[in-house]
Amino acid sequence: MSAAKRVQQWATFARTWHIFDCKWQDPYDSANVIKKYLMGLHKPIYHPMNDSGDVVVCINSKEIALRGDEWRKRAYFHHTGYPGGASWTLAWELHNKDPTLIIKKAVYRSMKGNLQRRHTMQRLFIYPGEEVPHDVMQNVTNQIRQLRFVPTRLDHIPEEVTKTYPKVMDFPEDYVLK
Amino acid sequence: MALVRRFVPFLAKAVRIQQTTQAQKIHRWVAPTLMELKRREDKLGGKKYYPRNTFLDWNLEAELYAFGQRLNEEFDSDLLLQAFTDRSYVIKEEMKQKEMDFDIKMKDNKELADIGENFIRAYIQNYLETVLPKFPLEGLKCIRNHLTSESVLANISLHLGTKDIILAAEYPVDNFILANTFKAIVGALLDSSGEERAAHFVRDFVITQLQGQDVNEYWPIEDPWTMLTDILKKDGATIEPRLIGEAGKNTLLACYRVGLYVDKKILSTGFGESVAVAKEMAAREALKKIFGTEDHMKPINFQLDGIPKPNSQSRYQISAS
Repeated sequence: MSAAKRVQQWATFARTWHIFDCKWQDPYDSANVIKKYLMGLHKPIYHPMNDSGDVVVCINSKEIALRGDEWRKRAYFHHTGYPGGASWTLAWELHNKDPTLIIKKAVYRSMKGNLQRRHTMQRLFIYPGEEVPHDVMQNVTNQIRQLRFVPTRLDHIPEEVTKTYPKVMDFPEDYVLK
Repeated sequence: MALVRRFVPFLAKAVRIQQTTQAQKIHRWVAPTLMELKRREDKLGGKKYYPRNTFLDWNLEAELYAFGQRLNEEFDSDLLLQAFTDRSYVIKEEMKQKEMDFDIKMKDNKELADIGENFIRAYIQNYLETVLPKFPLEGLKCIRNHLTSESVLANISLHLGTKDIILAAEYPVDNFILANTFKAIVGALLDSSGEERAAHFVRDFVITQLQGQDVNEYWPIEDPWTMLTDILKKDGATIEPRLIGEAGKNTLLACYRVGLYVDKKILSTGFGESVAVAKEMAAREALKKIFGTEDHMKPINFQLDGIPKPNSQSRYQISAS
C-alpha cells in the first residue's frame, strides 16, 4: 500500500467527535439521532461490519424534557433475579438518582440488541451539566443540531433589556396589579 | 380415506424432491484421498512436469508459425526460431553433438535480446515523455525501469504463450529466460517487420501494463517538501501550510488535514495521523498536481501511432534532488 492510499484509508475511517446539547430535548427522539452518529449510519461507507461509528458527547442531560406526564407515568423495570426482586422505578425517581441514566437507556433501547450494541455504547459520553473534561472537549469537532429550538426564558433576560424594550401600552397610574 | 392413503407415498416423494438443496456435495473421502495421493507423490520425488515440447506430436515449426499468426505479426521464421533459442539450450546441444562427433551451428537469442532491449527502453522513454509531458525525467526513468523489469516482462512473455515454445535446458523456464525471450521476440520483429510494427507491439503489450496503475507509486520521493519548495521557488512563489481540519486530537486515531496555500489560494490538501505526516502528504499531492498525475488525471493514452517525438520544454527539472 502506497503512502497516499494509507492516509486516504486513515482519513476515511477517522472518528469524528460530536457534541449534543440535551437541554429541553425529548430523550427518546434525540436517541434516534444520536444512534445514527454512534453507529456511523450517516456515512456513505456504512456497513454493519465496518468500524465506522463516531463518538457523541451529550451535555446537559439533567435538563431533558419528557412529554406530558411521562415523568410520573413512565416506569423503568429492573429485576434482581431473586424471587420478589422486581422493581419499578418512575422516571422522576430515576432522574433524581442519576441524571444521565434516562438518555443512556433511551440510546441503548434505540439500537438493535446485538453483540455490537455494548461496544457502540462505549462511544457515548453523557454529562449532567455543561462541564465536560478538558481533554474530551478538545476532541470535539462537530455539533449535532438540536431537535427542538430552545427559547430564552423571560426571567433569564437581564432587567435592563426588558426595561428598555419598546412597549405597546402602559398600565395606568392607578391600576392595581395583583 | 383409502384414496388419501393411496396417494400419501407419492405426496411424500414429491415433498422430498422439493427439499433437495443446491449446495455442492463434496464427499467426506475426497480430502483425505487427495492428501494421501499428494503424500505418495512427494515420496516419489514431487510432482513431475512433462514439457509439452517433448511429446511425439510436437511440431516446433507449426508452433512458431502459429505464434506469429496469433499475434497478427509477420516474423522471419529463422529469426523467430533464433529468438526462442536460449543460451542454455545451445550449450546443452553442443555437448550432445560433441559426444556424437558432429557439428551443427546454432545461434542463441543473446544478440536479438540486446537489440530488442535497447529498442524497448528507447521507445518506452519516448512514449512516456509524450503521454506524461509534465512528469520529471527521474520519475519517467523509474516507470521505465518498472516496465522493463524482469518480473513484468516475464509475466507478459508467459501470457503470450512462450513457455512451451522456448528452447532451454530446463523446464519450467525461469523468469530471466522468459523476459529475455520477450526482448528477443521484439528484436526479431524489429528485423522482420520494421520499427513501427515493433513499436506498436511494445505499446500494446508492455506500456498497457500501466493501465489502472498509479504512476506516482513507481517513483519514491524521499523529501517531497524540499522538492516542492524548490520548484515553487523557481516560480517565485512561497508556500504556506495551514491546519484546516482535525478529528479526535487526543486519541490514538487522531487525523489531521493540512492545506498548502500559495497567495492565499489553496494548492492541495493532505491527511495524516500527525501534522507532520499530513503536511508531507499535502506536499505529495501538490507535486502530483504540478506533474499532472493526480488521482483524477486523464487515463494514459495507449493509442499513439508510430514512434512519438516528445518536446520536453515545459518539464520540471529536479536536478537538485
